[in-house]
Amino acid sequence: MDNKLQIGSKFKMAMFALIAVGVITVIAGFLTGEATRTWANLLLNNYYFLAVALGATFWLAIQAITQSGWSAAFVRVPQAMGNYLIVSFFLFLILFLGIHNLYHWTHHDAVLQDAILLHKAPYLNLPFFAIRYVIFFALWIFLTQRIKKLSLKEDQLGGTVFFEKIEFTSKVYIFVLAISFSLFSIDWLMSLDAHWYSTIYAVKKFVMAFYHGTAIVLAIIIILNKLGQFPMLNKTHLGDFSRWLFVLSMIWGYMWLSQYLLIWYANIPEETVYYVPRIMGEYKNYFYSELIINWLFPFLFLMWNRVGKNANALLFVIFVLIVGQWVELYMSIMPNTIESHSITYVEIGTFLGFAGVFALVIAWSLTKAPLVPRNHPYLQESIEDGH
Amino acid sequence: MKTNILGIYEDEKVLTDAVDKLQAQGVTISDVFSPIPLHGIWEKLNLTTRLPLATFLYGAFGAALTFAFLFWTSVVSYPLKFGGKPLNTLSFIIIMFVLTINIGTLFTFITYFVREKMFPGKQVKLDVPRTTDDQFTIVIERPLDMSLDEEKKINALLKETGAVEVIETNN
Repeated sequence: MDNKLQIGSKFKMAMFALIAVGVITVIAGFLTGEATRTWANLLLNNYYFLAVALGATFWLAIQAITQSGWSAAFVRVPQAMGNYLIVSFFLFLILFLGIHNLYHWTHHDAVLQDAILLHKAPYLNLPFFAIRYVIFFALWIFLTQRIKKLSLKEDQLGGTVFFEKIEFTSKVYIFVLAISFSLFSIDWLMSLDAHWYSTIYAVKKFVMAFYHGTAIVLAIIIILNKLGQFPMLNKTHLGDFSRWLFVLSMIWGYMWLSQYLLIWYANIPEETVYYVPRIMGEYKNYFYSELIINWLFPFLFLMWNRVGKNANALLFVIFVLIVGQWVELYMSIMPNTIESHSITYVEIGTFLGFAGVFALVIAWSLTKAPLVPRNHPYLQESIEDGH
Repeated sequence: MKTNILGIYEDEKVLTDAVDKLQAQGVTISDVFSPIPLHGIWEKLNLTTRLPLATFLYGAFGAALTFAFLFWTSVVSYPLKFGGKPLNTLSFIIIMFVLTINIGTLFTFITYFVREKMFPGKQVKLDVPRTTDDQFTIVIERPLDMSLDEEKKINALLKETGAVEVIETNN
C-alpha cells in the first residue's frame, strides 16, 4: 500500500525535451517579430494550467466538504496538482514584462483619453493589479499547502482530528477561491477588452477550471493505474468520476448559454461587441467547436452508461476536453490580442512547453508522498467501493 | 401461480454477503427488496432495465415536439417580427429545455406506472411489510418441479447466511 512513485529517467528526459521546445518556441517567437502572439500564448497557457490546478484543488475541497468516501484513495493526485500553483506564480511573473503588449489599459496616455478606462482606473491600474496578483496566489498556495500538510500528518498520526481540520480548511478555501479566482479571471482575461464586461464571465471561467481540472485528475489516475498504481481502481470509481464530468459538462453548457443568450437577446452594442468578431469573423469555426467539444460531445457520449465505466473511453473524452479548454481560452484571448486567427508553431510549441512543466511538477510532487493516504477515515470505504 | 422463497435479513452487509454465497452455490436469486439503495446489488443480480433508454427517447421526442410547436406558432402560423430577431430564433432553447425535461419525466413516470401495474389508490400487498422499514429480503423463485431436497437445501443456505426468517409465498 505504501509504495511511493518513482520518476523514470525516460519520462524526465521527455518532459525536459518538451520544456526545451517551449523555451525555443518562445525565443523564436520574439526573434521573428511575433511578440504580441507570443505574449498572448504565454498568457493562454499560463492561465490554462493554473485553471487546471485550481480546478483540481477545488474538486479536492468539495470531496472533503461532502465527506465523500469513494474518492478517499485518490486525494493525493489533486493535492499534488496544488503544487503547480507555486510554479505558476513564477511563470505568471514573466507576463509582467509583456503587460503593455497585452493590456490596453496599462498605457497611461490611452487611459487619460478614454472616459471608460478612466472610470475603471481606480481598480484597473498596474500597482493594484500586481498587489491583487500576489494576494491571490498567496491565499491559494497557503490554503492548498495547508490541506496537503494536514493530510500528510494524518498519514502519521491517524484519527479524525485532521479529517475535520481538512474539512474546515476546505470550506475556507472554496469561499476564498470563488471570490479570488473570479477577480483573477476578470484581471487577466476580461480586462484584455477593458471596455466590455459580462457579469457571468468569471463564473464561466470558474466552471471551466472545475470541469477541466476534474478531467485532468481522472486522466492522471487512469494513467497511473495503467502503470500499475492504484490497484483498487474499479468501474464504480470510474462511474463516479464520469458522473462528475457529465454534470460539469452540463453546468459549463448552461454557463455558456447564459452568457451568450442574454447578450444576444438584449442586443446592446456595448455588449455584443464581444461576440461580433467571435461569431461573424474568422473565429466562427472556433466559436461553434467550443460548444460542441466542451458540452455537446461529452454530454451525449457520457450519457451512455458503458462509456462511464470504460477507462479508455474516458481517456478519449478527457483528451477531447484538453483540446476544448484550449479552444475556449483561445476564443477568449486571441480576438482581443492577435486579432487575425492562425495557428502557428508558437501556439503548439508554447502549449507543449507548459505541458512539460505541468507534468514534471505533478510527477515530482506525486513522488513526495505515499500515493494512497494511509489513515484517511474513509479509505476502507473507498477501496471496497463497488465490491 | 408462482411460488417464491423469501429469506429475510436484518442487515444490508449480511444480505450482500449472503447474495455472494448463494450465487456461489448456484442458486438463482430473482430479486432483492430493500428499504435503502444497496451499492452494487444491481450488478450482482444481473438485473436489466430499459427505462433510461425510454427516458432518452421521450426527451428527444419532447425536444422535437416542442420545436415543431414553436416553429409552427412563430414562423408558419403567425410570423411576427419583434426586436429585430429572426423568426426561427435562439429563444426557443429555453422553452425546449424546460419542456424536454417535463415531457421526459412525465412519460417516464407513466411508463413506470403502466409497467408496474400501479395506479393511485392501489392496495399495497407486501409479503414482508418491514422491507419498507428495516428488513431486507432475498427472493428466490421456486419452480413447481423443484424437488423437496433442493428446497430444503436453499432454506438451509438462507438460514446459514444469516436470514432471521425464511418464508414461502404464493402470488
